[in-house]
Amino acid sequence: MEITGMTAATMSNTEVPVSSLDERIKFFQNEPQSALATQEYFVNMGPQHPSTHGVLRLVLKMDGETVREIIPVLGYVHRGMEKKAEYIGYRQQVHLTDRLDYLCALMNNWVMADAVERAMKIELNDRILTLRTIFAELQRIQSHQLWWGVFGMDLGAFTPFLYGFRDREKITAIFEDTMGARLTMNYIQPGGLMYDIHPEFPRKVKDFLKYFKPILNEYDELFTGNVIVHQRLKGIGILDGKTAISVGASGPVLRASGVSYDLRKSDPYGVYSKTQFEVPVGTTGDCWDRYIVRMQEMRESIRIVEQLIDNIPEGPTMVMKFGAKIRIPEGIYYNQMETARGILGVMLVADGTEKPYRLHFRTPNFNNLWSVISMAKGLRLADLVAILSSVDIVVPDIDR
Amino acid sequence: MGLINSQNAPMIEAFPGGPAFLTTIDTVINWARSNSLWPLTFGTSCCAIEVMMAAGAANHDLARFGAEVARASPRQADLLVLAGTIVKRMGPTLQTLYAQMAEPKYVIATGACAISGGPFIYQSYSTVRGAHELIPVDVIVPGCPPRPEAFFYGLLTLQKMIREGESIRRPGERRKPVLAALPPGITIDQIRQELILNLEEKSVTKPLNEHAKMENLTWKI
Repeated sequence: MEITGMTAATMSNTEVPVSSLDERIKFFQNEPQSALATQEYFVNMGPQHPSTHGVLRLVLKMDGETVREIIPVLGYVHRGMEKKAEYIGYRQQVHLTDRLDYLCALMNNWVMADAVERAMKIELNDRILTLRTIFAELQRIQSHQLWWGVFGMDLGAFTPFLYGFRDREKITAIFEDTMGARLTMNYIQPGGLMYDIHPEFPRKVKDFLKYFKPILNEYDELFTGNVIVHQRLKGIGILDGKTAISVGASGPVLRASGVSYDLRKSDPYGVYSKTQFEVPVGTTGDCWDRYIVRMQEMRESIRIVEQLIDNIPEGPTMVMKFGAKIRIPEGIYYNQMETARGILGVMLVADGTEKPYRLHFRTPNFNNLWSVISMAKGLRLADLVAILSSVDIVVPDIDR
Repeated sequence: MGLINSQNAPMIEAFPGGPAFLTTIDTVINWARSNSLWPLTFGTSCCAIEVMMAAGAANHDLARFGAEVARASPRQADLLVLAGTIVKRMGPTLQTLYAQMAEPKYVIATGACAISGGPFIYQSYSTVRGAHELIPVDVIVPGCPPRPEAFFYGLLTLQKMIREGESIRRPGERRKPVLAALPPGITIDQIRQELILNLEEKSVTKPLNEHAKMENLTWKI
C-alpha cells in the first residue's frame, strides 16, 4: 500500500483540510510527493471503441481521470463522397446522401432532391410535399428511438437498447412496405417520389402512433425518472448558447442550450407551415436538457404526423419524370433542412453539364462534434461518454 | 481439449482406431466452436445498424445462434464482422484488430463496401476495394446494407463451414463452400483485368482547363 504520500504531507506540518473530500483530494494532488499527485498523459479513445458510435478517434489529454483536452482525429471513414459526386449525375446524388447520416436517410434524400428542384424551378404538388413531411417526421421518431436505446447502453443500462429497437422495427416495417428498403431508402427523388405509397400505409401509421404514445410514457418510467440517470446527466456537459452558435452547432444540441432555432419554424419547407407544433427548448444546455429536448421532439413529431395522416391530398407522386441526365443552369445553389441531428446543407456548383462541378455537404454532426470539446473539459472520462452520446454523433456524417 | 493438439495428432492417428477417435474429437470441438462465436463490436458505417444492432436486438435476436456476446476487446472475441466501408486510413487499425483476436478467428464481410468497395469502388481515392485486400475473409454477405436475416444466413454458413471444414489434424486450414460459379469461358483473371482497366479509366483527376471557366459563377439562391 502506498501511504508514504500521506505521511509526507502530515510530516511537513501543513494543515490537511477536513471540510470536504474534494478539498482533501485537491490538497494531496498538489503535494509533489503525495500518492495522489497526478501526471498528465495521453489516451487514445478509438478508432475502435464501442462508445464512439463508429470509428471516431479522440486523443485525450488526461490528468488522473479528468479530461484536460480533447483532440478529435478524423478520417477513419472518409470515403471521398464529395469527390465522387463530381463524377455522377444529379439523379444519382440522392443515393450518396443515404450513406451520409444513415439514421435520417429520407431527410437527406429530401435535401438533395429539393436542391435540384429549386435549381430547376420545379413546383411540386401537395401530395408529394405532405408525404415527404410525414416520412421525414416518422424518420425523426425512428432516429430518436435508436438514440434513446444507445444512450441507455452508453450509460450502462442494456434494457433501453432492447426497448428502443423493438419500437424502431415497427417504423422500419412501415418504410419497408412502401420503399422496399429498411435503412438506405433512396426514395425521395428530384421531381417527386420513387413510388406511390403502400395502400395500407395510412392505417399502419395510425396503428403505430396509437401504439407508440403510451410507450413514450413507458420510456419515461423506465429511464427518465431513474436516480442514476439524473445524477449522470444533470449539470454534466454544459454548453451555453453563445458557444453553441460560435461552433455552428444545430439541432437538439443548439436548442437544448436555449437557442430556439429550428428551420421547420424559421424557414418552413414542405407543409410544416400548415401544421401546429412546438419547438422544445432547454435552459442550461447540459446532457439532461438534450435528453429532454429529444424526448419532447418525438412527441411533437407524433403531433405533426397525426395532423397530416388523415388528409393526404390526391395527385400524382411524380410531377416531372427525369431521364438519366438532368442539366442544371450554371450557378451556385445552396439548400438546407432540419434533420434529426441538425441542419444539413447542400451546396451545388453547377457548370451547365449533367454533373455538378462541386458538391459540398454541410453536415450537422461535424459542427456538433466541436461543441463536445468545450463541454467535456474538466470532467471525468465517464462523463465524456455520456456527452458524446447525448450529442448523438454519427461518424460517417462527419467524415463523409 | 488441450491434451489433443496438432503435434500429437499424427501419433494418435497411427494407433488402431485412432482416426475414428480424432474425427469424434473434431466433431465435438467444431460443434462447440460453431455455436459459441463471440463477435467484436466493430462497425464502421451503415451496415453496423442492421447487422450488429438490429440483428442483436429483440426483434431478430442474434442470441438464437449463440453469437450475442458482443465484446469490445478483440482479445475476447473470435468473430470479426466487417460492417461498413473500410478506408485506407482504417486499414492498419483493422489489421491490428485482426492480429489481436484469439485463435481460431473468423471474418464475415457484410455489405457491398466491405466486399468490393461498393458504391465507392470507382472515383474514390480513399476506399479499400474489398476487405480481403487486408485480412482473410471467410464469408461474405451481400447487400447495401444486408437485412438481419441475410446476416443470419451468413452466420449459419460460417457455422456450417466450421463444423464441416476444420480438423485438428490441419489447424488453420479451412475448406470453403463454393457459393457461386463463373460463367463458362470466363476466368477470374479476365475479370481482374477488366476491373483494373475500369479503375484506371474512372480515376479522380480532372483536366486543368475544366477549372478555368468556373471563375465567374454567381450565387443563385
